[in-house]
Amino acid sequence: MKDLIKQGLRLGSIFGVVIIFLILFGLTSTLSDILGEFVNLESSTRTGNPGGLIIFFAILSLWAGSKATASDRSNWKPALVSGVSVSLIIALLISGFILLVGFLDSLDVAMRDYLAQLDHLSIQFLLYGRDLTTGVLLTFGIFFFFGILGALLAYWYEAKQAGEVIQKQVLVLKEKVLDSKLAKQYKENPRSKWIGYGLLGLVVFITPQFLGKYWNYAMGTVGIYVLMGLGLNIVVGLAGLLDLGYVAFFAIGAYTAGLLTAPAPLPLQIGFWPVLFFSIVMAAFAGILLGIPVLRMRGDYLAIVTLGFGEIIRVLIRSDMLSPYLGGPQGIRDIAGPSLFGVSFSGKAYLYLIILAILLIILFTNYLQNSKVGRAWMAMREDETVAQAMGINTLYYKLMAFATGAAFAGLGGALFAARNQYTGPADHTLMVSINVLSLLIVGGMGSIPGVIVGAFVLKGLPEILRELDLYRLLVFGGLLVLMMIIRPEGIWPAPRRRMELHEGELDVLPPEENLVGKEG
Amino acid sequence: MSDPKPKKTTSRINAFKVTQVIISILFLAFFAWRLYTVIDSGIYGPDTWVRFALSGLIIGSVYALIAIGYTLVYGILFMINFAHGEIMMIGAFSGYFVFEALKSIPVAATGMSFLDSYQIISVVLAFIVGMFMAALSGYFLEKIAYRPLRGAPRLIPLISAIGASIFLQNAAQVMFGPKRRTYYNPMSLARSQGWRIPIGGEEVMLTYTGALTFILSLLLLIGLYTLVMRTRYGRSMRAVAENKQTAALMGINVDRIISNTFIISGALGGAAGVMWGIHNGIIYHFVGFIPGLKAFTAAVLGGIGSIPGAMVGGLLLGIVESVGPAALGLDFQLKDVIAFSILVLILIFRPSGIVGEVLSEEKV
Repeated sequence: MKDLIKQGLRLGSIFGVVIIFLILFGLTSTLSDILGEFVNLESSTRTGNPGGLIIFFAILSLWAGSKATASDRSNWKPALVSGVSVSLIIALLISGFILLVGFLDSLDVAMRDYLAQLDHLSIQFLLYGRDLTTGVLLTFGIFFFFGILGALLAYWYEAKQAGEVIQKQVLVLKEKVLDSKLAKQYKENPRSKWIGYGLLGLVVFITPQFLGKYWNYAMGTVGIYVLMGLGLNIVVGLAGLLDLGYVAFFAIGAYTAGLLTAPAPLPLQIGFWPVLFFSIVMAAFAGILLGIPVLRMRGDYLAIVTLGFGEIIRVLIRSDMLSPYLGGPQGIRDIAGPSLFGVSFSGKAYLYLIILAILLIILFTNYLQNSKVGRAWMAMREDETVAQAMGINTLYYKLMAFATGAAFAGLGGALFAARNQYTGPADHTLMVSINVLSLLIVGGMGSIPGVIVGAFVLKGLPEILRELDLYRLLVFGGLLVLMMIIRPEGIWPAPRRRMELHEGELDVLPPEENLVGKEG
Repeated sequence: MSDPKPKKTTSRINAFKVTQVIISILFLAFFAWRLYTVIDSGIYGPDTWVRFALSGLIIGSVYALIAIGYTLVYGILFMINFAHGEIMMIGAFSGYFVFEALKSIPVAATGMSFLDSYQIISVVLAFIVGMFMAALSGYFLEKIAYRPLRGAPRLIPLISAIGASIFLQNAAQVMFGPKRRTYYNPMSLARSQGWRIPIGGEEVMLTYTGALTFILSLLLLIGLYTLVMRTRYGRSMRAVAENKQTAALMGINVDRIISNTFIISGALGGAAGVMWGIHNGIIYHFVGFIPGLKAFTAAVLGGIGSIPGAMVGGLLLGIVESVGPAALGLDFQLKDVIAFSILVLILIFRPSGIVGEVLSEEKV
């Protein structure tokens, strides 16, 4: 009994603190706006109708309550005890917090100066538009009532088992689909693979026709990130070298394209196509130049050095000292776009150009991956010493991975600069490197479809959920941590990598790190 | 794309070493030439050099405090705690809120705010709260983002650390807003006041905030050194750093030691954050990132894993960074470039740092 209460209090305080942080981040009002829209309550922070907020809080407390009974569902008494303890502590924490905030607000303390999300309007919203006492009591009531309800519901319906049943049904359905006649025919027909690719290609080819101007632009950005992701995939995913300064090569590509085609800092104005080639070569060259000294370092040192390199490039391109040559903080304007036979690419045509580049890069990557080079890279990633012992010249292959990855980034940079007809220091911050790395990790390292899925999730989804734009990087950061803990292989992993990362789970002996500390 | 023959490989390594030596000689020659021309031209008088050195020492002592955090964690887990700069930022914000809260409490006896009436208490309170909050975040950071990953391949905790760093930065931005805030110091710690020292006919000012920062960080560094080297607890920390399994067999609770390491390094980082706020005056959500990177550079410069190394490295980096642009006749915007170039050069030519031991591959 005591254990149950203790456990419940612990879980409840975790939930409570997390919800308080959600309120501080302003996520409660954003999410309840979305919820309110969803159930058509016309509830939002603006109208002051708190329906969405109540639903949001109720769902959270139901979840907390049902979590509480996870240890014992056999009897209603323990379920009630843990439910009461969880919901009591959550209700106390949240209503205490709201009481404090509401009280300070009623004293006319300008809390907005310190906590940006807690302005008068959103505090009124948190109090459901009522006075302080009613609002706090209502909050307490909602959390207490729905928490206990959640615990009891979980006991009665045995929610966990219900989840298992659904999972089983999904599995059965999946097997049925896979065993069906059509699927079998598809699997057995040797040409079916090509039909599948053809269909995919058709979809990719047709989609841009139906996109508006804004979506065209957004998808172009996603495409450029796919390109960079494919490049970093070679460096990190295949060769296992963590490069945090990847943006440097992107910047080199963009600036090469900019400097050679724009009229401003250097009056060269060469056409787009030779310059595109030249930016790729320059980026690859920079990759080799950086690679020669740093590639002998161990993994985490390499990460920091490349990060430092990226920062050096960024500081250099915005410095006043080099601004006569690189344009300084203003960047480079009027970069020439591509044109062929007198027709200039813009809008949809440019998107096709990006898609074409992606297709070529995918073919090239696929070729590399299945060749001797790719096998050498993967061997190096697994165990450098063993790879060396097998006669692989690791330095040579590392340099090659670095140069190839850099070349892809250079291509991405040149396409990016030519599309925007502008490039400046603001385009080449550390966040670009982090974004590319995140999409690689979320999608699945070492896997080409993974890169594409990752780019759509991380660059495409935020375009759909514009309300959540403020929280994009916050979610990225959280996602990186979460993915590492729950699913380090990514959404669509390369089969080999999944096997590696889950190898330990099949071992009879636990890995040595698990033994440490438990006895101590 | 054929494999070069093994014989060629060995010759390549030699060529690499030769290039290393040539490049380093060229670098040194360039630096010597720049230094000579700048000193010869006499743009900067002796007072300016002293001013640069003083500000370098002060900022360097803050770097040293943060660098200790990297070194302690690296020494025990062989992991770069990328989010350590954000822990410093949390400390800086906590100190800021303490000052703001105390500023708004009036004291009837003196007719001034609490902050100005009881200045020593206020500063002590800011440091205690800042260190406590930073230590708390360090503890939870380890518990949430690193502990589940113990024993995973090396890159995985690093990526998790990067994620935590981005998360904390943006959480602070969303919570506190993106604007830059000015630290409101107690009266006698005004940033424009200090002792004036006459040097070469000019006056060089040593601000009170700078003196406070330098002395306090030295005290904290000495305190930490004593803790690690002289106490029973420090001995168990060193044992865990040496070999986790053996330490566990000797009856040391490894998990607790690791947690406490994060608490200690967090507290030092928090103190550094409050100092940063008091001395530099401006804080915002991104404030921890660049100092964090610099402090990591300092830790590497001194030899990562070594506590005296982090102290020496921090002070050295601070001085080089503030004297460097002037000495090389470069733009002051480029001081970050100098710091990161040092990082790159040290990692290439002497990865063990100034006082660091050579880490065997086995240990890693």
